[in-house]
Amino acid sequence: MALPAVLPGATQARLGVEAELRRRGWETAQAPAAADLLVVCGSPYPEEDRRLDTLLRTMSQPAARVDVTRPEHAAQALDEGFALLRDKAASRSESPLGHEDAAAGKHDAHPAKGTAPAGPAHGPHHEHAGPGHPGQDAPGGHSGHEAHTMSTVAGLPMADRAADRDGLSLDRLNLPLGPVLADWPAGLILRCALQGDIVQEVHVDRVPGPSDGTSFWNEPWSRAARGEPVERGAAARRRCAAHLDSLGRLLSLAGRPDTAARLRRLRDDVLAGAPSVHCGERLQALTKRVERSRTLRWGLAGLGRLSAERARQRGVTGPALEADGDVHDRLLTWSREARRAVRDFDDGRPLSTGRLIGPRGTVEGTVPPSQALLDVLPELLTGTELGCARLIVASLDPDLDEPVAVPATEGAHA
Amino acid sequence: MPDAAPLWATVILPVALVSVAVVTAGFDAVLSAAAVRGRPGSPREVGTWAAAPLREAFRLLAQQPRRTIAADVALGRIGVVLVPVAAVLAGAVLPLGFRPVSDPAVGIVWFNAMEALAWAAVWLTGWGPNSALSLIGGYRFLAQGLAYELPHMFAITTAALGAGSLRVGEVVAAQDGLWFAVWMPVAFLVYLLSAMAMSFWGPFGHPLGRDTAGGAAMELSGVDRLVLLGGRWLLMVVTAAVSVPLFLGGGNGPLLPPWAWTLLKTALVLAALVAGRRLLPTLRMERYTEFAWLVLVPATLLQALVVAVVVLNR
Repeated sequence: MALPAVLPGATQARLGVEAELRRRGWETAQAPAAADLLVVCGSPYPEEDRRLDTLLRTMSQPAARVDVTRPEHAAQALDEGFALLRDKAASRSESPLGHEDAAAGKHDAHPAKGTAPAGPAHGPHHEHAGPGHPGQDAPGGHSGHEAHTMSTVAGLPMADRAADRDGLSLDRLNLPLGPVLADWPAGLILRCALQGDIVQEVHVDRVPGPSDGTSFWNEPWSRAARGEPVERGAAARRRCAAHLDSLGRLLSLAGRPDTAARLRRLRDDVLAGAPSVHCGERLQALTKRVERSRTLRWGLAGLGRLSAERARQRGVTGPALEADGDVHDRLLTWSREARRAVRDFDDGRPLSTGRLIGPRGTVEGTVPPSQALLDVLPELLTGTELGCARLIVASLDPDLDEPVAVPATEGAHA
Repeated sequence: MPDAAPLWATVILPVALVSVAVVTAGFDAVLSAAAVRGRPGSPREVGTWAAAPLREAFRLLAQQPRRTIAADVALGRIGVVLVPVAAVLAGAVLPLGFRPVSDPAVGIVWFNAMEALAWAAVWLTGWGPNSALSLIGGYRFLAQGLAYELPHMFAITTAALGAGSLRVGEVVAAQDGLWFAVWMPVAFLVYLLSAMAMSFWGPFGHPLGRDTAGGAAMELSGVDRLVLLGGRWLLMVVTAAVSVPLFLGGGNGPLLPPWAWTLLKTALVLAALVAGRRLLPTLRMERYTEFAWLVLVPATLLQALVVAVVVLNR
């Protein structure tokens, strides 16, 4: 079972890996515990690279890591990963000593970062689990959350207390969401303070990404802005695929995995240049079912309400502005835009360079469109339940391949 | 009244439950794979897809279990193991045909008590690894229990009321002419919903939800994971199977022997659940609780009232 770890700027590599996993019928793990193959998409910065190695050490043995930087290498990398796993399994059964070593190393390691936030007792330590801290030493020093004095259990700081929304003093734990998390925007880290499963406070952060900041989803519009000739059809295909990708993520989280899988398969066919009639029919059938689903509406309506007025104030420009509403409205907007885009698949005229609106908003504006989406996250997430928070993030689906900046200093590489 | 089954049935029961669970999981895997990969090319391909749960089971058997820091291993283990144990114990009152392993006078209460063990099981599993998302998953199941358990209890009480007995065998006997599902449709439908809820599966899979990276099961690997996820299928098979004696006339039916009717009806209920799960998104409990308490509780109470009036006038 593979666990993809997607880095910013590696959207194409991720799509390649997803297609290859699908072809082989390998499942995608939701967390490190279930996985045996860590598939890193993109080329990590050294710091991130060490973190991923730490993550690998916390996975159940036998486990292996492979890196995929280009989509066409996905098949080869997965073959290698499979061979690595087979060798490890074989050598383990031959030498009991190696077995114990592996177990001991694992026992010491931290239960992964990001996706494997360990328990109520862990708190701030998690924030820097990984690079310099393979063991359980030194809980303090990095995160900016540890101004309090803490008692520790097994070397981990105890949860802190703070007043909750009703004024009761409750345990408060600091839990980073991401970056290695299923159905999560690549490279995003949300540092949350939780009480129970209510998000009390959110700080947006990111893993250090590529410096060129070109986004795969914005590519046609970015190229047009640079004066290169881009066909409208190509841009429409990219927009459609981008929305299908976002929809897939949201529906997967909302508990419609089969619909999500169909949307993702269609996304890959759209990108591969399948005939527009064929795409249009499948899209029509799928989106109709999604748009008409009353149970889906019941589950999503009322979450993460972002009025057009507020969105405009925060500089949001794309579908999130147009939706003028909650998670379900944004889902409908993506769905409608994807269907509209199909009609332009065969349009050979050049993209006009006047208003360049990509899948997430105005490309080449003063700020990248995803920047505005990241900026509205804290106000939308504060006070929501963790499950709702995940849905809200997915309904905005910021793209960290764009050159977005986050307030935290450690993420300011981009 | 039917006799209890011979001793060998005690051995057969877990084996039968596991076999049915494997077939059901295989059917579910085929539907999922068809969504991911498009139409199957050949029957052989379908076979490969159907075997996916078995392959996954073997993979998990070969995987070393891992531990998290400061985990309460004992509690976590108890939670994991409780899931299949609760399923098999609940299955003890399950008549294959007309003969259950055991047919106590309070069989329905026994069944309900055993499935309630799942509450403890999932919560302990979530608590054990000392991991925040896992703990959230565990607590979600308690919230889920709060939502589904009352309507569920009213639903099975209605069946007992109709038969005037808590003995599963007598509930079956009372349906000789007319299935309870026919004149207690609300109770039957609510029962099907809670069958998914108590096996925390499908639309009620929030405790193990994707949004918490697997929730209560997030930190489980190897055998632990296999036992929990396998146990979950067992729970679902048992609760689906119990709907047959409670609402679908048990082994009653023409031509075929009673055991075949039981199996056939169970298979149909399971197929309906596996297909039906694809129509519903994951239900978040803050929404579902409202529905359960404002709609399902009054509806099941009304159903019980109607049945009570009918029984009194009989």
